[in-house]
Amino acid sequence: MEFAYLAAGLGAGLSAIGAGIGIGLIGKGAMEGSARQPEASNDIRTSMIISAALIEGIALFGEAVCAILAFK
Amino acid sequence: MLHIFRRLFVVLLLVVIGAHNAFGSEAANNEDENQVDILGEVQNHYVWSFAPFGELELPRILLYKGHLYFYSSTEEAAESDVFTLNGHDLVPADGGHVTLDLSISTHLIFFWLSALITFLIFIPLARRYKEGIGKETEPKGIFHNLFEVFFVFIRDDVAKANIGEKHYRKFVPYLATAFFLITFMNLMGLIPWGTAATADVSVTASLALLTFVFTQWNASKDHWKEVFWFPGVPTWVRFILMPIEFVGLFTKPFALAIRLFANMLSGEILIFSIIGMIFLFGNMFGPLAGYGSSVIWIAFTVFIFVIKAFVSLLQAYIFVMLSALFIGMAMEEHEHAVEHAS
Repeated sequence: MEFAYLAAGLGAGLSAIGAGIGIGLIGKGAMEGSARQPEASNDIRTSMIISAALIEGIALFGEAVCAILAFK
Repeated sequence: MLHIFRRLFVVLLLVVIGAHNAFGSEAANNEDENQVDILGEVQNHYVWSFAPFGELELPRILLYKGHLYFYSSTEEAAESDVFTLNGHDLVPADGGHVTLDLSISTHLIFFWLSALITFLIFIPLARRYKEGIGKETEPKGIFHNLFEVFFVFIRDDVAKANIGEKHYRKFVPYLATAFFLITFMNLMGLIPWGTAATADVSVTASLALLTFVFTQWNASKDHWKEVFWFPGVPTWVRFILMPIEFVGLFTKPFALAIRLFANMLSGEILIFSIIGMIFLFGNMFGPLAGYGSSVIWIAFTVFIFVIKAFVSLLQAYIFVMLSALFIGMAMEEHEHAVEHAS
């Protein structure tokens, strides 16, 4: 039963790493894109927020599983 | 129309006054008084705490075995012979399960308050638009100007951009209402004695359910075709894609609910944790370290509160943005889908 807590902690950290890498890559892409084409920065910002939110959603699935493990 | 809300407000006041022996009741003494249960603090309560000025017991309404029970407080319910307390939960004394718990809780109160504010702001505004102020003439006054900015933003940048010119008008009322309701609920978490109702998964799940219903109800033929018989791929791939697409229908609103809930809850837990660092330092390195480092932690908390105020608006925006995106994706009609298939 104690291993469930360990798994929950590790899993939460791993899903945070995954989401961090993903959102970081999106931020990088968006920054480069709007630096090259400042006139398109509004569109880029919108699609950046959407894709960041979608990635965050997948990370949150992981976090939800970890929360279930930890509180059970 | 407004008199209905005035009456609702009166009913709400009566409920609050009816909760007798409200103030000055003794807080339950735990055996370990120094411990704070953070997850217990941030969850839904049946007691509205105005620490240090006392607390307000909220009424319990429970449906059990086809009979509706009303109690003015959790204590009164526990004293009756139908229900007993099991830890902090109210359970039937004969070991059954409560059919329906309609109790007034803190999250429900803040949900109502936010809904009330939304109504009180936007029904007068809608009247002004009907009279032609803001539609034919310029909007008048700070109040009108302030909210028109948000209205136009929701209409043009969220609804029109994601749903498309043809159908967007139908969804603007829902998206605008959802945006302002979520914003007010989130901001309620910043005021003293307030909690964010969106830190409750049932609130966000109902909002996401609404989005799900709107999305599927208005879905085009192409949307269902993509779900069950994906165009433009070999037949065996279609059988693989069918369950994936079908599950995808439900994961989208699920993620929508969890995202809002997790963001608001984590903000609350974060503030508790940072304040807790003062006591952690005090216990580990003596009281001087606790007092000394408290400046840093309080500064951190203030910073987190600023972030929370920003996140409140951002999460409301993301919620309606993704709702609009899902609706737009489902309503999209592909003229070129046939070309792909051939």
